[in-house]
Amino acid sequence: MEKVISLIKTDFNITFGLSSIVYSFKNKKNRWQMILIGFAFLSLIPTYFMLISGLVKIYDAYRQIGQQSMFLLNGFLASQMLVFLFGLLYVMSKYYFSNDLNQLVPLPIKPSYIVGSKFVTLMFSEYLTSLPIILPFIIIYGIKGSEGIVYWIYSLLLTLTLPALPLVLASILVMIFMRYTNVKGKKDLIRIVGAVLFLIILFFFQFKIQSIAQKALMKGDNFFFDLVRDSNLLVKKLGLAFPPSMWGSLALSNYSSIKGFLYLLLFIGIAVGGLILMLFLSEKLFYDGLIGNIEVSAAKGKGSRKVDLNKSTKEANPSIAIALKEIKMLFRTPIYLINSIGGVIIVPIILVMSTFVNGEESMEPIRLILEGKPYLITLFGIGLIIALGMLSSIGCTTFSREGKNFWIQRTLPIKVEDQIYGRVMASLIIQLMGLVVLLVSMSFITNIGLSSIFWISLLGLLGSIPMTQLGMTIDILRPLLDWDNPQVAMKQNLNVLIGMGIGILYEGGIVLLVIFLVKNNIGINLIYGLLVLIFILFSYCLFILLKKLINKQFQLL
Amino acid sequence: MLKLKNISKTYSKGTIKAVDNIDLDIKSGEIFGFLGPNGAGKTTTIKMIVGLLKPDTGQVFIDNIDVWKNSLEAKAKISYVPDNPEIYDKLKGIEYLNFISDMYGVPKNVREEKMNYYSEMFNIKEALGDIIGSYSHGMKQKLVLTSALIHDPQLFILDEPMVGLDPKSAFQLKEIMRKRCDEGKTVFFSTHVLEVAEKLCDRIAIINKGKIIAMGTMEELRSHAEERESLENIFLGLTE
Repeated sequence: MEKVISLIKTDFNITFGLSSIVYSFKNKKNRWQMILIGFAFLSLIPTYFMLISGLVKIYDAYRQIGQQSMFLLNGFLASQMLVFLFGLLYVMSKYYFSNDLNQLVPLPIKPSYIVGSKFVTLMFSEYLTSLPIILPFIIIYGIKGSEGIVYWIYSLLLTLTLPALPLVLASILVMIFMRYTNVKGKKDLIRIVGAVLFLIILFFFQFKIQSIAQKALMKGDNFFFDLVRDSNLLVKKLGLAFPPSMWGSLALSNYSSIKGFLYLLLFIGIAVGGLILMLFLSEKLFYDGLIGNIEVSAAKGKGSRKVDLNKSTKEANPSIAIALKEIKMLFRTPIYLINSIGGVIIVPIILVMSTFVNGEESMEPIRLILEGKPYLITLFGIGLIIALGMLSSIGCTTFSREGKNFWIQRTLPIKVEDQIYGRVMASLIIQLMGLVVLLVSMSFITNIGLSSIFWISLLGLLGSIPMTQLGMTIDILRPLLDWDNPQVAMKQNLNVLIGMGIGILYEGGIVLLVIFLVKNNIGINLIYGLLVLIFILFSYCLFILLKKLINKQFQLL
Repeated sequence: MLKLKNISKTYSKGTIKAVDNIDLDIKSGEIFGFLGPNGAGKTTTIKMIVGLLKPDTGQVFIDNIDVWKNSLEAKAKISYVPDNPEIYDKLKGIEYLNFISDMYGVPKNVREEKMNYYSEMFNIKEALGDIIGSYSHGMKQKLVLTSALIHDPQLFILDEPMVGLDPKSAFQLKEIMRKRCDEGKTVFFSTHVLEVAEKLCDRIAIINKGKIIAMGTMEELRSHAEERESLENIFLGLTE
């Protein structure tokens, strides 16, 4: 037990950087940075409250049909789904790619201890995801329905255990996945293809179940009769998508009866049972998936592949050489592959699939809207591609990713222009992959014409340039270079968060402008033309700014 | 070839003087050894020469070009081998060499010839197709050395180059240094292996606590030190 507690303590300190936060707060420059970041968070609060007031309206709507418990289910489903999704990524990087593994594995501790301690820290990380979502639902339900003290006690227990089961599921799935993809040779490739396929299948079934449940619900002859008779009807039918969420909401909506207590026990019991099962499985699965992982660095001995120098020496323009180097590093570093490239490919697929799988009924309204205003889908496509430029985090980690290798860039005679062209190019190449995936998946829903394809490609990529440059500007101002694990450069890098904030402002501004123009009946071709101009102007201004900053920072850092 | 004019660098808001008002003038065709105990300021000085650390005061000239004003021009004339070969783990050896060659704009036939020559000499040719992450410390060091020699730099700057090299490669590196100087090019390196400095260097500077405390040929250093014949004795006497 002492071992486990000590492991948890250390892991906690490493993950949340408690010691280094205290240290950096003592430094004046960092202190200002942290205060600024605090303000940035505060500025998000108005948006959050707008969302909450929207939730209140949804609660009222459910209450009118006597199905308030459905409101709770929405909260449980949303937060548990998100915990599960983030969980897949967190588990993958924390269990298999974190830096401390090389030190932990040789120690005389059981695999389940390592997994268990990492699970505990992940639980706390996941609270950051789950609490902002579930709390408004629980509080609105509790206050508007003037629920009693038992409700609040149940709520506390439920919110505390909420991330456990999705995280257990994510852990088990990832451990099985890593165990059986641990094949010598093209392991990284197998894993990324496997992960993408896995997520697509997962979402396909998820959406399918939902749509089946919805259809079944509406079909019954006695639907409205049943609706009045059973105030938990919607929850019971729609909760099938993820039963634990259903138990959670039923526990809260029936807190005054023994039924509620039993659902609470079920919710917590399944989570604890799942955890025990997961720890048990970790003894069998964890090392088998992991050991090969560490092996990679040593497996290929000398001379496994001979190089023909005549064929392998190629000249390239410096900017292209930088772009290629970036792309190779992104593809060959699993953490980058999952976060940047994985996201760019998966997000468009999921978005499009969520509409597609729901079947003809939900497609019909979309088709109707599009028939009147076919350019809407083009605008949507452009917006999504630009947003991917932010989600991929390639721009806002481009210098951080250099890490301890940064000296190479600084001692070589590289023109600043080449640095910018090369790094923007790398980001655009990844964007191009997202673009292709988006266009292909969109063509399943609707006929997109050549002009749509043209504008989505041109404006999407053009609009991504300023997005990448914004990220680069942030990253060159405060690059995170001191790391041993690439995970730090991408996942523990505040620049990613700041980049998203500024990226949202940029994209939000563009969206508002387009809405304004459309409402004022400005011709769509004129809008496209205007966007081209804006994007070029932004790119140019940011290019000038970046040139100055890179010149200055390359000397100072 | 390399001129340092009154350069200084302090850390921790001026409380620690890492390099204190150093002047150096190194001519073409010279092998210059930079000696000193741990923490004397060797690496700091080298970093200021190659553009990794900006001096608080003073100037650095390479072939009469101010490193901190016309950095691209200056950097094109040098190459730098750090004490710790941190290079892109996820690239293959050959990819790294091509990348560096692209940055210096080395033509295909030249880079092919140099890569072949140096990778064979350092016995890493067979490993060029592998990911750098699979290399040992010494192999990485040799790859960095190869990459630093591809563009045939006027000034070759090395920080503790012998650390981590096997005896054969260390011998070859010394040969390369000697040969470059015979061709009129310049080598500047730091070391605390006194034997290497004694045998190889045309001139030596000893740095301690950020200041140069002795400089000259072996003969000159000997003549200043009474009865202390070996460099080891001189070094120990000066840095006590």
